[in-house]
Amino acid sequence: MRFAACLIVGFSLCAFLVSARSQTTPDPPPSPQQFGKGSELFAQICSHCHGPHMVNPGTASFDLRKFPHDDRQRFFNSVSNGKKAMPPWKDVLHPDEIEAVWAYVRTGGVEPQ
Amino acid sequence: MRKLLLTAVIAALVPFGLHAQTASDLMKGSQKDTANVLNYGMGYDLQRFSPLTQVNRDTVKHLVPVWNYSYDDNKSEESQPLVYNGVLYVTTNAATMALNAKTGEQIWKSKIEYPDETPRIVCCGIINRGAALYEGKIFRTTLDAFVVAMDAKTGKELWRSHAIDFKDGYSMTVAPLIADGVVLTGISGAEYGIRGFIDGWDPDTGKHLWRTYTVAGPDDPNGKTWPGDTYQHGGGSTWITGSFDPDLHTVYWGTGNAGSWNPTTHPGDNLYTCSVLALDPKTGKIKWHFQFSPNDPYDYDSVAEMVLADLNIGGKPTKVLMDTNRNGFFYVLDRTNGKLITANQYITKQTWAKGIDEGGRPIASEITDKVRQGQEQDVWPGAMGGKNWSPVSYNPGTGLVYANTLNFGMHYKPTTPEFRAGLTYWGADITWIWPDGPRGGLKAIDPMTGKAKWEAPSDIPRFSGVLSTAGGVVFSGKLTGELEAFDADNGKKLWQFKTGSGVEGQPVTWQQDGVQYIAVSSGIGGVYTLFSGDERLSQVPAGGSLWVFALAPQ
Repeated sequence: MRFAACLIVGFSLCAFLVSARSQTTPDPPPSPQQFGKGSELFAQICSHCHGPHMVNPGTASFDLRKFPHDDRQRFFNSVSNGKKAMPPWKDVLHPDEIEAVWAYVRTGGVEPQ
Repeated sequence: MRKLLLTAVIAALVPFGLHAQTASDLMKGSQKDTANVLNYGMGYDLQRFSPLTQVNRDTVKHLVPVWNYSYDDNKSEESQPLVYNGVLYVTTNAATMALNAKTGEQIWKSKIEYPDETPRIVCCGIINRGAALYEGKIFRTTLDAFVVAMDAKTGKELWRSHAIDFKDGYSMTVAPLIADGVVLTGISGAEYGIRGFIDGWDPDTGKHLWRTYTVAGPDDPNGKTWPGDTYQHGGGSTWITGSFDPDLHTVYWGTGNAGSWNPTTHPGDNLYTCSVLALDPKTGKIKWHFQFSPNDPYDYDSVAEMVLADLNIGGKPTKVLMDTNRNGFFYVLDRTNGKLITANQYITKQTWAKGIDEGGRPIASEITDKVRQGQEQDVWPGAMGGKNWSPVSYNPGTGLVYANTLNFGMHYKPTTPEFRAGLTYWGADITWIWPDGPRGGLKAIDPMTGKAKWEAPSDIPRFSGVLSTAGGVVFSGKLTGELEAFDADNGKKLWQFKTGSGVEGQPVTWQQDGVQYIAVSSGIGGVYTLFSGDERLSQVPAGGSLWVFALAPQ
């Protein structure tokens, strides 16, 4: 019984650590190729609400320059399922397209050298 | 017995007359009926002019708010209120409301539900521009492309008709028009590869009566202006309410840009995009068309208001249509036949055309020639045009058109879009080119020359409607929240009031129990706010509400 309790605590701790890592460990910096694809998709699909090159006043729509670069899960969830004024996109955007936009958002709109 | 019968008939008609707006009521407009605002544009002519004079250039400094009503909505508020028998009707993207016009007390509120996915096919603000009243019903459109009729007394839904599937890029923000007993509606979505149209509906039942496509197909001789099947995604949206001449039984409705923006994807004139259509409202049949910008690369759509007036031209009273076109030219047409009378540049800078020829066709500049060869270019005005959707006001007393004009260009790079249902179909990458000074100005334009008698510049351009009155006052709003009043003769600023958000609404005025009221919606979130990247607006909070003003008791 004590062993089982230890196992549960151990698994919980592992799950917590994995979850904490996914929340806090930043993805590797985007490559110029990812930036190119992401900026193209952003201009086509996102820019008319979030502003050209992500520049907007941040009042009528979210200022993506302020999006935490280590919160991949929140980004994918917001884009896929929608949040507040953001509509859900999962039925029309492929996961690799969301991935490309996520890479672009992490550049802050500045092309990596 | 005859007297008894007459009494019974009158008794039966009184409540109908009190609560129903007849065709003849709608024909009066705010110029003949100052107690009500029954039409979008304050009259079938869309002049947005009132003969009221209680608020005038001398008294306007005493204007104060009398009530404010929260829309419980954080989107752009561009709706024009209507007023009938002391009840004010107004819309947002999410609700229709009836309010006591004198006190602001809510009489009823009818909420609108649409799928969460809908906003992704709306390019330029989650909005609704207003309702229409007719025979005791109130009509509106919804973002997910339904047309709805409600009981004006209770807000109870009477019918709901589906125009088209929003998942294919179609949406509705337009205020309906009632003309010759038909409900007319337009459509949005030219940036999503739609094929635009105007619809006619039966006001009693919601039955679909007709559809006129604004992009000519193979069954139309003008379909040859589209190569292959490009007409299927040819744009031509119709999101601003048309004007109506009841004597000519003709509706004048502007049409949007071609899809995609890249002109090399659809060489040809692309009829009937960037045009005005003269329609028979009972059948939707096109009587004539006039195209402002053939094979348009720049989003110089022509949906915005077609103002009707009777001008004295060469000593002859002439029925004209006036358009402060997004392409930077001010057009005056003979509305009986669609022939051009004059077209003159009204903005400070445009580089896309050398001029307009006698037939009304633009003479392309070298810049436009290069763009049509697929090259990148700098061009003025930018994609928001010389004037965007913000409706002008025409004052028959001064003979001037008061318009919120824009002054910025763009770097334009054509791209080749791939059509995917429900996603944008732009066809160009653009970057704004800003001037050193103000990005816009309220101009008092002579319709026959395009020249401005005065201009009230604004660093951040105005995107609100304009209202002018016989009191010599011109009202308009700023994105930073001020409702402003100017002297109609010289542009001198007379008054302002700072509302709680940016003003993108359409001011109206009426007189009730001896008091002249002015109403405007406040609530930021339209095309400039979203798409310009102007960070100076970061201190202007969202939050929609309706403000109503009157003179302070002296």
